[in-house]
Amino acid sequence: MDAELTNLVYYVPPHVDGYVYPNEQNLLWSTLIVVYPYITGLVAGAFIMASLVRVFKVKALEPVYRLSMLTSLAFLLCAPLPLLFHLGHPERCLQIMMTPHLSSPMAMFGFVYAWYMMAVLLLELWFDYRRDFVAWSANVRGLRGILYRILTLGVHDVSEQALRLDDRMGKIISLVGIPSAFLLHGYVGFIFGSIKANPWWGNVLMPIIFIFSAIVSGISLCVLMYLLLNWARRQAQDINCLDAMGKFLFYALVVDASLEALDWIHRLYAAEESIHILKSLAAGRLFYTLLVGQVCLGTAVPLVILGGLQLFSRHVVPQVRQHLYTLSAALILFGVLAMRWNVVIGGQLFSKSLRGFTTYKMELAGHEGWLMSIALLVLPFIILGVLVKLFLPQKSPVTRTETGAAVSQAA
Amino acid sequence: MNERKLPPQLIRLVILTVAILGLYGLARFFLTPPSFGELGFYRALALEEATLRSPVFAGQKACDECHSDTIKKVAKAEHKTVSCESCHGPGRAHVENPEVKMGAIFCVRCHGVDPARSAWIKQVDPKKHYAGQRCAECHVPHQPSEVP
Amino acid sequence: MPCAPPTQRGTMIGKGYTRRKSLVALAGAAAGFLVMAPARKARAAVQKLFTSTGAPKGYDPTQHKWLMAINIERCIGCGLCVEACKKENHVPPQPTYFRTWIERYIIKKPRPGQAAVQGETVVDSPNGGAGGFPPCEIPREEILKAFYVPKLCNLCEHSPCTQSCPVGATFDTPDGAVLVDPKYCIGCGFCIQACPYGCRYFNPYTRTADKCSLCYHRITRGLRPACVEVCPAEARLFGDLKNMGPDDPIAKLVRTNKLHTLKPHLGTEPRVLYAGLDKEVR
Repeated sequence: MDAELTNLVYYVPPHVDGYVYPNEQNLLWSTLIVVYPYITGLVAGAFIMASLVRVFKVKALEPVYRLSMLTSLAFLLCAPLPLLFHLGHPERCLQIMMTPHLSSPMAMFGFVYAWYMMAVLLLELWFDYRRDFVAWSANVRGLRGILYRILTLGVHDVSEQALRLDDRMGKIISLVGIPSAFLLHGYVGFIFGSIKANPWWGNVLMPIIFIFSAIVSGISLCVLMYLLLNWARRQAQDINCLDAMGKFLFYALVVDASLEALDWIHRLYAAEESIHILKSLAAGRLFYTLLVGQVCLGTAVPLVILGGLQLFSRHVVPQVRQHLYTLSAALILFGVLAMRWNVVIGGQLFSKSLRGFTTYKMELAGHEGWLMSIALLVLPFIILGVLVKLFLPQKSPVTRTETGAAVSQAA
Repeated sequence: MNERKLPPQLIRLVILTVAILGLYGLARFFLTPPSFGELGFYRALALEEATLRSPVFAGQKACDECHSDTIKKVAKAEHKTVSCESCHGPGRAHVENPEVKMGAIFCVRCHGVDPARSAWIKQVDPKKHYAGQRCAECHVPHQPSEVP
Repeated sequence: MPCAPPTQRGTMIGKGYTRRKSLVALAGAAAGFLVMAPARKARAAVQKLFTSTGAPKGYDPTQHKWLMAINIERCIGCGLCVEACKKENHVPPQPTYFRTWIERYIIKKPRPGQAAVQGETVVDSPNGGAGGFPPCEIPREEILKAFYVPKLCNLCEHSPCTQSCPVGATFDTPDGAVLVDPKYCIGCGFCIQACPYGCRYFNPYTRTADKCSLCYHRITRGLRPACVEVCPAEARLFGDLKNMGPDDPIAKLVRTNKLHTLKPHLGTEPRVLYAGLDKEVR
């Protein structure tokens, strides 16, 4: 049998403090498993952002609606990749859909992913874009034209009735999509929350904290993508849109911060057996990623900035506000990645014997190395670039008519 | 528009959905491995496959076939709880081909002094207890109370 | 069967039988029929097993329920069990993968003036205990008590590992072992994270999860697991709960000792019994 000789030719054990079970010395879930919840979180969060327009009719967020949906799609397409690279037998991955073990939260992955991709995201995008597909398939030549023609699915009806139906379907799907997005990311939180063997992971708040940090990261990503797109196209930034995004980001961040604070307050108050090692973990191995990265830079600083902007936005020039939103969004994105790191890697750094710590020896190259993780984080942006090129033509702001149907102002 | 007829976009979508679900059903039918689910949520054949490895240690009974005298002697003395293969190592190769020699471990492995070792086992400090001499000079491994 | 009161609403079909009761009886019969069919199918499946060449003939997993018990008082930490397991099951030789291992607990005396019954507890398991333990670095005078604890798969009644497997590649056998199907495991590692006892590892050669199989290939042939075979101290006891006489070592252990299991508060209902377990053991 072929062995992975790269690591086995010369084995260097990780540094262990105290006592860890022998099988726990090497970490099993690597940065790939850090990247996966991050990506699905961005998917869910971007979708929630978009649904604010459709379901809650926040007019100010109109300009960023299609971009949010495309962002969600770009990241969704990349979501299975970290898992696939992490599996010991990726060629057996279909088994998870052929014989799904219903008692395992991980078995949900195939179905939740397929449902969200096909029945929520692609369907809502199709209903939203259908009119444009019909228009573009008539005007555009070449490969792109063929693509648009395929995407119409052979339906060319763009009468008023059909467009009203499209809009109604889009609203229904968006409504169904919100719990679906929660499920897509919440089940990941439940995977961790269901592991009673690990006191850092196994608690009730885990799925909810995951969902809210996902929303926060998704909105931040949309902020940055919107700023980037307009800057690249030398278009004016819509400060009302940014203000609205900043407002929702602030609210979501308040809830997220409260939940994470509640988690810690409860742990410290109840002080179960594991509290000693978990305190050592937070203050020691996870000091930079948790206390500095996640709490200070990723939560406290953006809270202050965004909260300040909520109170004093009249006194702040739009240009400065824009830069503050950029800064907050970037810090939050970094902080949420740090949070995923703290959960996944942190949970494996201490022993289930509660008596010691091991170290994470992160590979550089190799299918579980951090170069791979960076590549997997960059890939969605490349895909998003392609999607924007295909589906967000220059100078065509989209607004909604009174019936709510999407109308491009320039085809 | 005819009230009964579905709008064209929905018809296309329904066709697509049925096709996808049909494909999934077919895949599930063909790709589920045989014997799955017969005994529980697993491949029942895996139970048999788990038994196919050949044992490496032969077991006391196998030694008894040729060495029953020694085993009877050991069974009467203090080492009666120790099986042959504890000290002599895996015996499969020797059972199949008696030419293959068996080794023996160093007695200190069990009898070296150690604070975590229970007091029921006699322990010596090899540095102080006749250092440099072989254990077999004064002790008979199979019958520890006897002298050689 | 007591008759339903005649004032009950519903058609009276026969003497003392209401429509409701007959429906319940019908449902019960249907349920029984439904259950019987899978049970018969399972028995047929078991009888079909072990038919290939090389498989132990005539072994019926439903006729046995294997159990391992550990007597802490007897373990001398020789590590022969760890080595035997590695040899028997071809466990990767690196010092980080073990199907079974030994932990040494050294409980120090309390510091002078410290109002406590015991001082610090130091736990170690160098190379899992294979090759024996190196001499203890803590001086004898500082040690209050010390002991060895063998660890292995706890054969849980409600194993969290089988619960968490997404594809059904790890399972509870009818005869009490918990096995991994290396041909079906996708290597996600969820079961390894879910085991509270740290008894699972990721085998880098097969790239699947791996764990103590209770030497399934031995016990189905009437042999004892390798670790039990080589234990010189009767610290590891192995028995069949479905064929246990009063002289069985496990029966004797249960009669004469107070028993413990590891991490009972997690609800996994571990079946491996420990006699003489100290409060410091996790």
